[in-house]
Amino acid sequence: MRVPARRAVAMTAAVVALLLAVLLSLSVGARAIAPSAVFDALLHGGHTDAAEVVREMRVPRTLIGLMVGAALALAGTVLQGITRNPIADPGILGVSQGASVGVVMAIAFAGVHTLTGYVWYAFVGAGIASVAVYAIAASGRGGATPVKLALGGAAINALLVSVTTGILTTKASALDEFRFWQVGSLSGRDSEIVGQIWPFLLVGLVLVLSVARGLDALALGEDVAKGLGQKVATVRIVGGLGATVLTGAGVAAAGPIAFIGLAVPHIARAIVGSGHRWVLPMAAVLGPVMLLVSDTVGRVIFPPSEVPAGVMTALIGVPFLVTLVRRKAVAA
Amino acid sequence: MRFGKAAFLLHRRAAAAAVILALLLAASCLAYLCIGESFVAPGEVLKVLTGQPSPDELVVGTLREPRMVVGLLVGAAFGVAGGLIQTVARNPLASPDIIGISQGASALTVGAMTLGVTSATVLPYLSVLGGIAAAALVYVFAWRGGLHATRFVLIGIGFAIALRSITTLFMTKGDYLVAQQAQIWMTGSLNGRGWTEATPLAWTLLVLLPFVFWAARAQRSVTMDDDTATALGVRLGHVRLGLVLLGVVLASVATGAAGPVDFVALLAPQIARRMTRTAQIPLLCSALMGALIVVLADLLARRLFSPTELPVGVLTAAVGAPYLIWLIVRSRSVRNGGTS
Repeated sequence: MRVPARRAVAMTAAVVALLLAVLLSLSVGARAIAPSAVFDALLHGGHTDAAEVVREMRVPRTLIGLMVGAALALAGTVLQGITRNPIADPGILGVSQGASVGVVMAIAFAGVHTLTGYVWYAFVGAGIASVAVYAIAASGRGGATPVKLALGGAAINALLVSVTTGILTTKASALDEFRFWQVGSLSGRDSEIVGQIWPFLLVGLVLVLSVARGLDALALGEDVAKGLGQKVATVRIVGGLGATVLTGAGVAAAGPIAFIGLAVPHIARAIVGSGHRWVLPMAAVLGPVMLLVSDTVGRVIFPPSEVPAGVMTALIGVPFLVTLVRRKAVAA
Repeated sequence: MRFGKAAFLLHRRAAAAAVILALLLAASCLAYLCIGESFVAPGEVLKVLTGQPSPDELVVGTLREPRMVVGLLVGAAFGVAGGLIQTVARNPLASPDIIGISQGASALTVGAMTLGVTSATVLPYLSVLGGIAAAALVYVFAWRGGLHATRFVLIGIGFAIALRSITTLFMTKGDYLVAQQAQIWMTGSLNGRGWTEATPLAWTLLVLLPFVFWAARAQRSVTMDDDTATALGVRLGHVRLGLVLLGVVLASVATGAAGPVDFVALLAPQIARRMTRTAQIPLLCSALMGALIVVLADLLARRLFSPTELPVGVLTAAVGAPYLIWLIVRSRSVRNGGTS
C-alpha cells in the first residue's frame, strides 16, 4: 500500500477506535447500560434511571475525556516538536506544574473549593509558567534553542514544585483537598466545566494546527528551517502558546493527568510517520482513546470504588509505550 | 580538545570551579553550624569540631553536625547520580527523579505508611529497595541488545509516571495525617536526622568511592558517538550499565537517608557543567554543587519560618534553580546536542 493510503487507513481505524471508546464510556460503569438504551437516552430523552445516568453523568464525563485527552496529546506533540526533545511534555517543562500552583493557591489562599472555580487559577498558572520558560530560553545569545527551552522548563518546573510542596507541607487543610485533584480524574465533572473549557480547546487547536508545517521544518534543524522561509521564533511562540492554552484547559478540567502528553505523540509518530500534519490529528484522536479507555476500565476494575483516570492512564499506557519503544528506533 | 592550550585552560577552569565550590561549601557548613535557634560563635563551633570542650557541644556536635553531614552526603550522592544518568541518557532532562528511582522509593515507602508502618528503621530500607527495584525493572524493559539512550529514558519516564500515580492513589486512601507525613517524606527532609543515619550513609558512600573514580574516567567513552567508541574497542553496553548502576545505587541510598530530594540530581550536574564548560559533566563539581545546594537549602528550611521547619526539598529547587536560570540567561555558547 502507498504511504498516503496507509495513513488514511490508520486514521480511519483510529477514529473507529475513538467511537468505540466513546460508546464504552457511555455504557460501562457501576450500572451497565446496553448501547441500544444509550442511543435511546441520547436521541429520545426519557426519564428512566438509565437515561438520567447517561445524560447527567456519563455524557459530561465522556465529553471532558474527549477534550482533555485531545488537549494533552496535542500539547505534548507540539512541545516535543518545539524542543526537539523526545521526553518533553507539559509535565517536564513546568506547564502542568504552573496549573497545579494556581490550584494550590486557589485552595490555600483564595478559599476556592470548586472545580469550576479552579479552572481560572489553573489557566493563569499555566500561562505564567510558559511565559517564564520562554523568557528564560529566549534571553541571552542564540535565542530559544531546544536545549535552553528544555533546561529552562526543567528549572521552572523545579521552582514551581517547591512552591507547591511548600504550601502543602505547611497547610494540612490544603493538602487534604489538593490530593484528590492531583491524582487526575474525570469523575464528578459536570457540563458546566465542559462549557468553560471548550472555547480554549478550540483556540489551542487552531494555534497548534497553524504551526504544523513550521514544526516539520524545525525538525530538520533551525538553519534549515530558516532556509525554508520559516520564522523559527514565531513557530515556537505560536506553538508554545497553543500548547499552554491546551494544557491549561486539560489540567484545569481533570487535574494533572500525566503520560498522555508524553506517550501519545510517540505512538502517533510510530503509526503515521513524523509529518506534523498527520501526527497532530492522529494524536488528537489517540489521546482521547487512551484517556476514555483508561477512565472506563478504572470504573469497573475494583468495584465499588473507582480508580481515577490519572492512575489508570499510566498503568494502561506503560505497556503500550514499552512495546512501541522496544519495537523500533524512536523517532523524535 | 584539539589544542593543548585550550585543554589546559579548560582544565584550569574546572579546577578553579572545584576550588571555589569547595570554599563556598566550607563557608556554608560553618554558617550551618553557627546559625540556629541559638547562635553559636564560629570560634566555639571550631572548638567542637576539633574535639575541645565547649558549652555548645550539645547544640553543635549532637544536633546540627550529624544533620549537616547527612545533608552533605545526600547532596553529593544526588549530584553524582544525576551526572551519571544524564551522561548515559545524553539528555539534560534525565535524572533519578525522572527515570523512576525516586518514584519506586516513594511508592514502596508511602504504600507502607498507608498500611500503618511508621518505623524509622524500616522505611529507609524500603525506599532503597523500592528505588533499586524500579531501576531494575526499567533496565530489563529498556535492554534490547544494548542500552539505547532515548529508549532507556522514555521507558524510565513511563515507569516513573505509573509509580507516581500509584503513590498519589495511596495518598488519597489514608487519612490526611498519613497523607501529610507521606507528603513531607516525598519532599525530602533532614528533620530529626542524626548519626543513626549519617554513619551508615558515610560508610556506604566510602565503599562506592572507587567506583565513582572509575566512572569519572569511563564517562568519556560514553560521550563519544557510538561508532567512534566501538572502533576504539570500548564495550559501550557494559560501560553504560556500570554508570547507570552506580547512579541508581547512589540515588537510592541518598533517598533512603533523606527521602527523594528531587531536582538536586537534575540541577547540580547542569550547573557544574556550565561552570566548567567541559564536554562531559564534571563529577567532582557536581558532587560539591549538590552538597552546597542541600546544605544551604536545609539552613533556609530550618530558619525561614522558625519555629516551623520546612522539609529541605521545598527549598533545594529555590536554591539551585535560580542559579541555573541565570547561567542559561547569560550563556555565551550556542550548541545543540544531547547534553549541551
